Amino acid sequence: MTAFRNHLEFLRRTDDCCALDRPDGLSPQVVAAEALRADGPAIELTTDGRAGVELASGVYGGIDQTRGRTRGQPRGRYPWTRLGLGLGVDRDPAYVDVLETLLALGERRAERDVTYVERAAAATELGVRELGLPTPPDEAWPRFTLGVLSIGADAGSYWAPIHGTILDGRTIRARVPEAIAAHDRLSTGASATIALGVPSEALAAAHLLAITDRLATPIEDRGVGATVPLIPTAGGVVPSSAEVVIETAVADRQPDTRSEKREFWEHLVPSTTLTLEAEAVFSREDPVVPYAPLGAALSDDLQLAALSLSATLCDRVNSYWGVSPVDWLLLPAEGRLGLCLVASEILYAGFEWQLANLLFSLSDCFDKVIVVDTETGPRNLGQVLGDSWVKAHPSRDWLFSEADAPAARLPAYGRDDETGARLYVDATWDPRWKDEFIAPRVSITDSYPPEIRAAVRDSWAELGFESDAAFEEASGSGS
Amino acid sequence: MTAETFRDFLRLLTDAGAANEIQTSVSWDLEASAITMRANATDERIPIFETVEFEGTDARLVGDPYRGPRARVFEHLSRAFELPDPAGLSGPAYYERVIDRLADRREPTVVDPATAPCKEVVRTGSAADLLDFPWPYIHQQDGGRYATLTTLVAPDRDGAWGRWSRHRAMIHGRSQASLLFLAGEQLPNRYYYEFERRGEAMPVALTVGTPPAVTAASEMWIPVGRQEATFAGGLQESPVDLVPCETNDLRVPASAELVIEGRVLPDERLDEGPFGDYFGYVNGPRRSMPALAVDAITHRKQPYLPFCVGGSGVGYAENSTSSLQVAAGGPDATLGLRAAGYDVSMAAPWPFTERTVWVIATDRPYAGYLHELANFIFTTWGMLHIDCFVFVDADVNPLHPRAVVEALALHADPATDFHQFGVERMPKVPLNIYQTPDEKGNAAVGTSKSKTAKAYVDALSAGDRPTRAIGEREDRERARDLLSTAGVDGAVEPHYVTDTDANANANANTSTDTGTTTHRSNR
Repeated sequence: MTAFRNHLEFLRRTDDCCALDRPDGLSPQVVAAEALRADGPAIELTTDGRAGVELASGVYGGIDQTRGRTRGQPRGRYPWTRLGLGLGVDRDPAYVDVLETLLALGERRAERDVTYVERAAAATELGVRELGLPTPPDEAWPRFTLGVLSIGADAGSYWAPIHGTILDGRTIRARVPEAIAAHDRLSTGASATIALGVPSEALAAAHLLAITDRLATPIEDRGVGATVPLIPTAGGVVPSSAEVVIETAVADRQPDTRSEKREFWEHLVPSTTLTLEAEAVFSREDPVVPYAPLGAALSDDLQLAALSLSATLCDRVNSYWGVSPVDWLLLPAEGRLGLCLVASEILYAGFEWQLANLLFSLSDCFDKVIVVDTETGPRNLGQVLGDSWVKAHPSRDWLFSEADAPAARLPAYGRDDETGARLYVDATWDPRWKDEFIAPRVSITDSYPPEIRAAVRDSWAELGFESDAAFEEASGSGS
Repeated sequence: MTAETFRDFLRLLTDAGAANEIQTSVSWDLEASAITMRANATDERIPIFETVEFEGTDARLVGDPYRGPRARVFEHLSRAFELPDPAGLSGPAYYERVIDRLADRREPTVVDPATAPCKEVVRTGSAADLLDFPWPYIHQQDGGRYATLTTLVAPDRDGAWGRWSRHRAMIHGRSQASLLFLAGEQLPNRYYYEFERRGEAMPVALTVGTPPAVTAASEMWIPVGRQEATFAGGLQESPVDLVPCETNDLRVPASAELVIEGRVLPDERLDEGPFGDYFGYVNGPRRSMPALAVDAITHRKQPYLPFCVGGSGVGYAENSTSSLQVAAGGPDATLGLRAAGYDVSMAAPWPFTERTVWVIATDRPYAGYLHELANFIFTTWGMLHIDCFVFVDADVNPLHPRAVVEALALHADPATDFHQFGVERMPKVPLNIYQTPDEKGNAAVGTSKSKTAKAYVDALSAGDRPTRAIGEREDRERARDLLSTAGVDGAVEPHYVTDTDANANANANTSTDTGTTTHRSNR
């Protein structure tokens, strides 16, 4: 488990977090959105001892994978790298390892193995307005994002993603999954705790469980409960390392305020509004909390949803046929989850049809699936976005359904209660083709004999080149 | 200073820190191309191989000199054409400036052969030996050694300067090479349907190491009645110097590093391929292509022979072909479509293929417009190499990969927006990898035996696009300044054409699509 501030420290150590003094008169959301636009490092807005929390953005995703790496850029930055670091997978985590780690957080445990430790945050006299949370440029109130809601019961605690606005020193208007708001435990007057700046495991698990509609099991019975040290609060348990903890009571339930900005998980599951009254605020010394510019491209809430849904779908399709033919599955945040890419062994002729249509059955987010061969890894999205055209015959390998399927949820043209068509593109080699029909790829590995590759690699610096010698020759198979 | 010769261009690259002059002796036999492919894959500086292990002419090799930096593939050509602020120019602004240059055509001048650099060494008859030059062997699966970055000069009925286009040549011996001639392209059409039918050889000059403007113009699809030489003059804002050939009536760029004069023989074919091609795969099988008989070779002393590592410009990587397609083919196509009456902001290749897919930013002024536009392109310059067009809103920047992926994911409806043209009815380049060898066949004129389909995708929005930016422009600029001060490079391609103030295109406004157009699927 990595406390949020330690996660930031790891990002700093890998030159993937840039600290700026929190500017006066400029919304932190604008700075965050511009940092994402620039495909830059995560950013941290520091206060240098002034009042209010420090802020961090882009710490769970932030990378535009359609751009590729340019000369001089550090290697090993992918949309899952920062979350993988936070989850403790590796400094240069493999995509599927991040997905598997995510899934494990949501797995149900036969026995509880919970660790309780002392709360890092201390009680304060602060009102929630005094936390100094950032106000978006087109809004009147400070906003918190990427929070975890915890509510307690006899059986244990229940977590869900939460975000909202600070209306005054005590009043919070928050968005939570409808599934948890509908719970009896969130009736008026009930206690609910908001934790900000939690370990990646806690936040990712909350998003994963919300989008897979698995909020009815106590967190202590999930993998995340055995991973993250906890501390009881007036609501439920929260991560003991949380930067800010706000204990609240439910003041009102206002299910009909759809004009509120949404975190991305709300595009996948129904959400609703609660009014909460803050009763106590706990804070660590020099607290730092994550925030996301909602609606901006590549924001952390979008990336958390993308990775959570990718992990879920990858697991579902690989648990279905008795074998696991799928190497990886990626919902690019760049496509705002309106497009699904899947790399699979084609077990038999027609398997790609089966795979694509199973994915359509498992998710109503997208209506376009591109199936590619396993020779290309998820790190090489550029190759995938090339292969999807050059390996697919424009009349034989673009397969459309009749327009009588449920409309996909995320594309802009999708409309409730309407039907639509589904498309999958088969960009794989036809398993019926003879081997000699399969065109060799142009690549350093495939186009040159080993002795030339080795000679070029060994003499690279001597030839006057500056890029790192650890360039991945088999870039197409990077995981 | 505008680079009016290939050597000027190399100097510009060196001065800009974009070239790596390698003194270590390197072999033409896979080694030079392996180094180049690695440089392409890592966005490294362009390798200039000053010393080549070879027993013949003291020639030098240059690996993919027209490859631009990955995030700004047009940067080197903008430097070569002396466009203002080459390191800060956005893609849309670059396009508009090049389009302005193309509209300002200049007639070439003919210079005295005695002053022409390409005549420093003149070899005719048996002294003209292709094997005296270190043509690179590029991929281990290739059928032979290749001249890949060429400008082929051929006769033109309508003008004095000849027609220019790029065709690769596979070296077959001292005096023979096969030329990749695909029917459907202008010069091959003239050969197959005029010269060969008359039983005549077509005189040609295969030039290597021409000025950047000449190479760029050769990559363009210039309509009949116009001549590439005048467009090249416009690009470099000065006439291109031409010089007469030794053995035929053609004129060639006087500063070319090397010129192979010869004839494309009627009814003579030689093997061509396999070759690692622009699809990023090695096309096969080996096929027959017209034979070039060499009559003379003229060249500069210690000529530089630039080459392209075919197929290495796919995915994230760039090579000369992919960069030239973006930096030359794109502005030319944009201009051509506007000249044909289409309301196009930009036309540019899909960033992850060298040629197969193009993205066109356009309004939709009337119902049926996109079909008409696709139809126009597929029946003209887009016939052979392009399989698909993706149409996006007029203000979406086709050079911003995420903007295009987002448009495809969110605005292209499988029910109404994917359109297939002439299913199994359209000609196809045989270099593709999705047809079987039997389907490709070995048609006498260089197309596939089997026909194929073309497609276009309507990814225009109905005005319902995701959040474009947060905050007012001055706030965003202040945020960018802050980030820049902290070391975050914010100089990325704009998502929208209108995000750059350097853009001069009046068409590049926010989409005004009313969503009233009725789409029809041909599925």
